[in-house]
Amino acid sequence: MASFAATACRISSRLARQTLLQDAAVRGFRTSAAALAAQNLTMPALSPTMTEGNIASWRVKEGDKFLAGDVLLEIETDKATMDVEAQDDGILMKIMKGDSSKGVPVGTRIAVIAEEGDDISALEIPPDEGLQTQEAKSDPPAASSSSSSPSSETAPPKPSASDGASKPAGGKAPKQTYPLYPSVAHLLKQNGLDKSAIGDMTPTGPNGRLLKGDVLAFLGKINAKTPAEVSSRFEKASHLDLSNIKVAKAPEAKAAEKSAAPAALVPEVPSVVSLPVSLAAVIEVQKKVQNTLGVFLPISTFIARATDVANDELPLPAGATPSADELFNQVLGLDKIGSSRGSRGCYNPQIAALSQAASYLTSGRPLSGKRPDIIDMLSGSSRGTTKQKPTRPLTPGLSTGPNLFSLRVPRAEEKRAQVFLERVKLVLEKEPGRLVL
Amino acid sequence: MLPQRLLSRTAVRSAFKPSGLPLIAPATRWTRTYASEAEEKDLVIIGGGVAGYVAAIKAGQEGMKVTCIEKRGTLGGTCLNVGCIPSKSLLNNSHLYHQILHDSKHRGIEVKEAKLNLTQMMKAKETSVSGLTKGVEFLFKKNGVEYIKGAGTFQDEHTIKVELNDGGETTVKGKNILIATGSEVTPFPGLQIDEKRVVSSTGAIALTEVPEKLLVIGGGIIGLEMASVWSRLGSKVTVVEFLDQIGGPGMDLEIAKQTQKILKKQGIVFKTGTKVLGGAQNGDIVSLEVDSAKGGKAETLDAAVVLVAIGRRPYTAGLGLENIGMELDERGRVIIDSEYRTKIPHIRCVGDVTFGPMLAHKAEEEAVAVVEYIKKGYGHVNYGCIPSVMYTFPEVAWVGQSEQDLKKAGIAYRVGTFPFSANSRAKTNLDTDGMVKMLADPETDRILGVHIIGPNAGEMIAEGTLALEYGASSEDIARTCHAHPTLAEAFKEAAMATHGKAIHF
Repeated sequence: MASFAATACRISSRLARQTLLQDAAVRGFRTSAAALAAQNLTMPALSPTMTEGNIASWRVKEGDKFLAGDVLLEIETDKATMDVEAQDDGILMKIMKGDSSKGVPVGTRIAVIAEEGDDISALEIPPDEGLQTQEAKSDPPAASSSSSSPSSETAPPKPSASDGASKPAGGKAPKQTYPLYPSVAHLLKQNGLDKSAIGDMTPTGPNGRLLKGDVLAFLGKINAKTPAEVSSRFEKASHLDLSNIKVAKAPEAKAAEKSAAPAALVPEVPSVVSLPVSLAAVIEVQKKVQNTLGVFLPISTFIARATDVANDELPLPAGATPSADELFNQVLGLDKIGSSRGSRGCYNPQIAALSQAASYLTSGRPLSGKRPDIIDMLSGSSRGTTKQKPTRPLTPGLSTGPNLFSLRVPRAEEKRAQVFLERVKLVLEKEPGRLVL
Repeated sequence: MLPQRLLSRTAVRSAFKPSGLPLIAPATRWTRTYASEAEEKDLVIIGGGVAGYVAAIKAGQEGMKVTCIEKRGTLGGTCLNVGCIPSKSLLNNSHLYHQILHDSKHRGIEVKEAKLNLTQMMKAKETSVSGLTKGVEFLFKKNGVEYIKGAGTFQDEHTIKVELNDGGETTVKGKNILIATGSEVTPFPGLQIDEKRVVSSTGAIALTEVPEKLLVIGGGIIGLEMASVWSRLGSKVTVVEFLDQIGGPGMDLEIAKQTQKILKKQGIVFKTGTKVLGGAQNGDIVSLEVDSAKGGKAETLDAAVVLVAIGRRPYTAGLGLENIGMELDERGRVIIDSEYRTKIPHIRCVGDVTFGPMLAHKAEEEAVAVVEYIKKGYGHVNYGCIPSVMYTFPEVAWVGQSEQDLKKAGIAYRVGTFPFSANSRAKTNLDTDGMVKMLADPETDRILGVHIIGPNAGEMIAEGTLALEYGASSEDIARTCHAHPTLAEAFKEAAMATHGKAIHF
């Protein structure tokens, strides 16, 4: 189950980043006050079920600068310990909940951060918005007792966090930032209510939206509990009913529990593609040319020309992004009719002589068929691709017999390089004469 | 020297053209082993249906390395290949044919000799299907999704063996695996589906001639749509339904009754509250023995073709779930939690093969949500707000709760209805059957359900779904301007009728 913990950890920290990102996005919109206000950093929800967490330790000290991606603090939940990364550059102005604070509810202010370049001695510490909205939510005597306040469940502390960030210091932020529903706007006008009265109403709609029923309840025209009751029914209906699952009887054959292989990151290793090529035919042609024309052509000329020809119209590397037209033609099968897709390569093979005796071993198979083994890499006894070579006696320089042509390419280009080498081999072994005549 | 060199190079280059190059073949084989051995994907999806392909594209867009395994040979699953899409083609074209035959004259259009060319109608259907499935394949390429044609089987928790359609096999490894294998037709005990005489929905969209008589077992959405197609093309259709209402249990009772009345007028015979005891096939005739569900006298019905449309069931055959100790529930569904995780946390499951309504758009929503769960830690599907549509004529569509649901749960409600016979556009179209029915909370006026029977109901339900998603009241809809003259005005008027009074009725 190691992999499970790892996944959970990964996902959760992503979530944390997302919450922070929202924060950052709001900050992005607020241009004028950007360098003048500090913001509250609240306890992020690292998993959908997390309600509180412990702060293990702060990695950044008060007054210190941090860069986007720096780990700000470590948070412990019931499941794991996770790092919270900064989404933006900034300064940690004040830590509100210090190291080893226990049971900090999600949405509670844990620190105040300022933007890079702010003079933190002159900045005012903003009021703790998260605390206020939480109090406001539990304030009205209605609802919450009968049904464990479904609205606060559908709307996690995100809105309060963004409120805190979007508000320059002081004043009360309006809760309803979107256009009011037609019925709501109508009721307000009809009853001579000011828009400020909205702040005293309890929204029960999806994501904390204010509904007609909420205004009616505020006006005392309907039972004050009804909107929340209706809301809780909707909340229930919005989830798949996964209660009462009756598991089918398991078939007798019990599968052997296999522990999953640890998911480890393997660093990008350039792969080596190689192919033995015999230069016997080239030398024959070379002799023939010298005998008949009296001109000595060095082998390097043959190889250079073969390379030149073979670089033409190579298949694209694996990661290449084709155009929409090309893709659709592929789906329709039209690409086989027209000219084949490809691009010119710029490969230049490394050549090493291969002793005659060993040549049959390679028999055209690429060396890079195997990926370096992670265990070997970790234990330091790397027997990866490159080290396989010593099994074949290699000598630098050219031999008149078989030579090993090899290319070191990014993993994505393996196939492309392979095609290239095969072409070089074909030209040099089968018809080297055509290269010079 | 230079021109000569160029010339010679062209000559050599010609050697690379497909003719006589045995060296290329090993290269492709080599790539295949490479793909299987080396690379662990971020997400491997088994099934290229609506759930699977949408998840694959979404994952591709999120920058994940994703592989989708599909054994059908074309993407899109049941929906695109043998379900929603081809049936809609037949429904639309058979409706046109039926209208030309029976409806055009009094509209002032006289058509001499309208003739059915079933082969061409089927071809039109296939064109639509192949265009759409190829479109999905294009989207795969566009979003960098690796597409493997073959049947996947779990080897262990991270490895899937794929039996390739072209022969041979490969294995794929994934950090995350998504089961999206969908559903299959539930067979009727005692009847062997041969897709010729005894057909499932798959065979019903591919009949080669119009059967003289068609018997449909099951009066749900699939049964009624197919009954409509073949009845319009000239078949005598009888629908046998075990329940007392047609349209399945989700359809509002009042709407279901009205639907039955309209479809009956179109010539479909209904036997509701009727049990099928058994069937037998004698040459070209299939006979069914039926009985009143409450007990009564049995009778035998004969037909050239019998359609079994009693529902669908999760499909997990050949998936090798036993190799990883995965559990199913008693109805064969893969057991998941609210984040679509199975008991093995990195293996998730969405679509028809797990819980919830078996609808393409539900699967699509889940597919996006599950990728968001994997990538971002949170995704969302509002199961209380999934519309259903039946594409008969007139169409039937609904979202939210039905009147009988509310009654059963003892929830108070207010009803508002508006008939299309009072709608100007419906009048000009001479299609005035049907109505819009809205259910709302009596105190807060929040909409609880919307039910529509009428022309274009399937498009109109989108407005009801949006209203429900936003927690709107009927007054919110009534205070929103709707264009005149449109069918959607009936929707607005029904909203007015729910909290007050409709203007035009």
